[in-house]
Amino acid sequence: MSTIGEPPISNAMISIRGICKSFSSNSVLKGIDLDVHSGEVIALIGGNGAGKSTLMKIIMGIYQQDAGTIYLNGEKVNMSKPSVALAHGIYLVPQEPMLFPNMSVEENIAIGFSDKKKELHTRIVEIMDQLGWNIRLDRKANTLSIAEQQLVEIVRGLLRNANILILDEPTSSLTFNEIKSLFQLIEDLKKKGICIFYITHRLTEVFEIATHVAIMRDGMITLKGSVINFTKEDLIKGLLPPEAKMKNTEKTEDNIEYSKLKPAFETKGFSGYGFRDINIEVYPGEILGVAGVVGAGRTEFATTVFGMDEVKSGQVFLGGEDITGLSTRQVLDKGLNYVPEDRHLNGIFKIGEVGVNISSAFLRNSSKFFLNTKAEKQLADKYIKDFRIKVTGQDQIMGSLSGGNQQKAVIARVLSTSPKVVILDEPTRGIDAGARCDVYAIINQLKKQGVAVLLISSDFEEIVELSDRVVTMYQGRINYRFNKKQITLDNLTAASFGVYEEDAYEIGE
Amino acid sequence: MNKKIWKNKLFRWENALILILITEIIIFGLLNPKFLQARVLLGSINDFISICIISLFVTFVMITGGMDIQAGAIVGLTSISLGVLWQDAGLNIWAAVFVAILLGGICGAISGFFVAFAGVQAMVVTLGGQFLYSGLALAVVNLSSSSAFEGISGFPNSFIKLASGKIFGIPNQVIIFIVLIAISYILLHKTKYGRYVFLCGINKNAAIYSGIKTKLIIMSTYILSGMSASIAGIVLTSYLGSARADLGKELTLPIITAVVLGGTSNLGGKGGVFGTALAAVVIGIMRFGLVMAGLPTQYLDIPIGLLLIVAVAARTISSNPGFVRKAGKLFKRA
Amino acid sequence: MKLVNRILKAREISSLAFLVAMFLIVGAVNPTFLQVKNLFLTFNGSVVYILLAVGIAFVILCGEIDVSIGATLGLSAAVSATLLRDGSSWLAAIIAAIAVGVTIGLINGIGVTVFKVPSIIMTLGVNGVVRGSIYVYTNGKWVENVPFEFKALSQATFMNALTYFLLGTIILTVVVHFILTKTKKGRYFAAVGDNMSGATLIGIPVEGTKIVAYIACGIFAALAGLMYVSRVGFVTPTAGNGYEMKAIAACVLGGISLAGGVGTVIGAAIGSVIMSSISRVLVFLQFSSDYDNTITGILLILIVVADSLIQRRLAEKARRKRLSARTLEEVGGGSNE
Repeated sequence: MSTIGEPPISNAMISIRGICKSFSSNSVLKGIDLDVHSGEVIALIGGNGAGKSTLMKIIMGIYQQDAGTIYLNGEKVNMSKPSVALAHGIYLVPQEPMLFPNMSVEENIAIGFSDKKKELHTRIVEIMDQLGWNIRLDRKANTLSIAEQQLVEIVRGLLRNANILILDEPTSSLTFNEIKSLFQLIEDLKKKGICIFYITHRLTEVFEIATHVAIMRDGMITLKGSVINFTKEDLIKGLLPPEAKMKNTEKTEDNIEYSKLKPAFETKGFSGYGFRDINIEVYPGEILGVAGVVGAGRTEFATTVFGMDEVKSGQVFLGGEDITGLSTRQVLDKGLNYVPEDRHLNGIFKIGEVGVNISSAFLRNSSKFFLNTKAEKQLADKYIKDFRIKVTGQDQIMGSLSGGNQQKAVIARVLSTSPKVVILDEPTRGIDAGARCDVYAIINQLKKQGVAVLLISSDFEEIVELSDRVVTMYQGRINYRFNKKQITLDNLTAASFGVYEEDAYEIGE
Repeated sequence: MNKKIWKNKLFRWENALILILITEIIIFGLLNPKFLQARVLLGSINDFISICIISLFVTFVMITGGMDIQAGAIVGLTSISLGVLWQDAGLNIWAAVFVAILLGGICGAISGFFVAFAGVQAMVVTLGGQFLYSGLALAVVNLSSSSAFEGISGFPNSFIKLASGKIFGIPNQVIIFIVLIAISYILLHKTKYGRYVFLCGINKNAAIYSGIKTKLIIMSTYILSGMSASIAGIVLTSYLGSARADLGKELTLPIITAVVLGGTSNLGGKGGVFGTALAAVVIGIMRFGLVMAGLPTQYLDIPIGLLLIVAVAARTISSNPGFVRKAGKLFKRA
Repeated sequence: MKLVNRILKAREISSLAFLVAMFLIVGAVNPTFLQVKNLFLTFNGSVVYILLAVGIAFVILCGEIDVSIGATLGLSAAVSATLLRDGSSWLAAIIAAIAVGVTIGLINGIGVTVFKVPSIIMTLGVNGVVRGSIYVYTNGKWVENVPFEFKALSQATFMNALTYFLLGTIILTVVVHFILTKTKKGRYFAAVGDNMSGATLIGIPVEGTKIVAYIACGIFAALAGLMYVSRVGFVTPTAGNGYEMKAIAACVLGGISLAGGVGTVIGAAIGSVIMSSISRVLVFLQFSSDYDNTITGILLILIVVADSLIQRRLAEKARRKRLSARTLEEVGGGSNE
């Protein structure tokens, strides 16, 4: 599956031709061509699952491409492992910092160097001064915040005199000031001739810091060029699949008669680790969108409601009944279920069959002691049909399904307990457009059935499309509430970044 | 429909084991024709019944991703406790049997508790358990009037019959094995509990999110394996006619080998009772056959150890098509 | 002052405290235990355990395990003792023992890294093979009649107190500690155990490091075997049986976490002294040696459970701190709440 691209431009610091990569049957990269020159910052944007991280890992030698070549300054290079990439001056600052938790900051930065300790120390201090970053070098890495860990990762790269720096969503956990410092640093690096791959999902940053941009969708680059040639709308267009915008599910214009309803789900002053003082209500038959950026505390809120973490204060009510602090199983039994954010970690039974995956929560009530395989099969059949899950049979191994089908199976499991309240956490992350539409249809179906839906998503368009009302969370608190008319992309983005200007008002309960 | 069955890796593997078993019997039969006598073949199970029984339930433990190295020690502890309870405490033999099985369950529960609730590595807890329970066995001996060397004997005939009797010409031990296979099979493959065991092993987090009480499930697997070790200890004591503290000392390696060889993945989530049972028999026959062919018993660990390593290594090679190429690269690097 | 603080915070200090406390308690019950002569007997008697623990520390730091070191000790002891008995030079015997250690370590390392056999299973299998091999090699017989001069080596003392063995072991331990904490490549072991993917990312050769760890472990087991021959004077086919568990316990007692990445060989050494003292302690407390295993087992389980609980506690605290830090404590800066 190799594409024969044009021969590499020899004055490019790094050129990629025809990179393809598949995992099992999943084709993640379908032929990537890219050139980056010295002093350029290329922003790489795309939805989850578009392949950005995979491409970067290939450049860094963590994965090997199935086809295609990487050229550095015109010469072909075989990135067989990270040390090769490091030796060529490439450094990847991962999205999730990969420090050594039990070593000090200084040890983390200096590891792998043979130079004298004193020399290294001076250089490190120099770099940190230049950045204006104040982290004590003798702190253990496991005491650092994610933001601080990211900073340490960046210092590591700088100490290695990297001339190709890969930053994978570097600002996702940084405060406003830290972002400013980072951008200043990037400007300095640009002047020094270092080229930077900058992966982000924040379009505004692209225009602030990048010289070039490339949009990836479904494993291919759909748009690339100098930043000055594009507007924000152009970028957004490049991100969406051409059909998706058309398949607008019947946007129910019917207003929900809130005055006639009692909330199916309610929290009062609910505080836990990562979130504080959450007061929300969700009514049967409505979709409450919960927008925010990574780290805003939405998932922590949901998992704590679901019995996975300690409650600090406040209460949770399900249909009027107090379910604060109940265990996961109890919450499930009471009628609330949760689609986990990270389906790989918490959602799928990868080496199990699809049927087993779907029935795992249903088992409890399906029989007393022995397995009721007939009921299980019926359940799985129903959902496979209703949700259009593409499988060769109930016995297909979950790991071989596409992301979208896996997600649908997880949703099926969550719905199999007939919950009255469903919390969905990033339900369409990393799935293809077709599956996304199917999931939207499922969510709208839930709404019709009178289920109360809490939709947590970092995909603002998704929130705009589906929600009846929206709350945005910022740094652990709810900062804004929007009624239907106010739900716009701009409002949500601004509020999620804590920079919302205009007045919004609460809908009367 | 047939195609789907054959596609099932586990089923194919079990068939491979059957083939290995048949090959073994043929080879050993050739080396020593006495081997092929039904009496000898069936009776050989006396030799390795412990491995068979215990590995059935250690399978449960390993499917959850855990490990159990203490089962052998529990065998000895059970045996000597049985003896002491009967001889020195004066309990009715069958009451003593009951208490002994309970004891095995408790030993398993302790380790299982630490693994499931305190999050300690199973291997280490059971490693400690191995020493603790073998040490306790010695302590129990001191409680009795007999010495460790002589053990306790003189058990009532009804008890001895347990292991040495026959029903319709089939040795009791074979029957016990078959009954336990049935129980463990039903438990693991036909009940909700068994499904939960698998789910906990495939993805503990997802199991929690499905509302499964993973901690209890995981702990229960250790209780089961502890009780199976007790049962093995009781059967062994009955067969030898003597309760000894040092029974079961060398069982850890063959048990783990049987479970792994039977197709259970050490990472958890995969495995089956039939595979384990077959593998246990394969290993047992191998040991028995080798001894009959003249190999000293102390050498037995060599082929078993090799078998274990090869079984797991082969799995890596087979599930990794580019393996030979990758291995070659690794050596070029070094 | 900072240095003193750092030392005090070290996990090794709690191990040392435990050791001292244990000695004091036993000394209170039976003061003869604290007699200098007896104390030195205790310390001198721990050399074999110290070497084993230091060796296995390499592997545990990488996040792996090795339950075959007892068998390695046994085989290298058997081989070297046989050579010595049959008149070989000491050098030949030493080289042979080390060769055994290196080979077994290499096999373990390759099994774990290349064939991806989980370390518990790999070393369990190797343990079985090596144990059986000892019988094959010795034909099931004891190896006796080791030359007197070699045996005397273990008794040779420095200033009539510390044996040269102990002295050498201490020096070796300190050197290893220095290598593991201060040199570039020495740091790799803990790095691999601390965060294996992070180590790969930063260019550390994870597989190579693990193989070296297993080889080092094998070498130390061989050295322990040599010392064993000298101290005990003869080798039975069951020599070293169960020592691996004591070595692991020693490491844990000394502050090495079984998850990898944490701990020092100094701690391992302290832990070994604790482990080897237990049987002596039992004698002085007038317990039968039958309780040796029981006490060790209880101790190991307690330590491991405590260690795990503490680690989990710390990790949970760190996680909660991180989450709370992300949360705005006061409402302000834009909100319509």
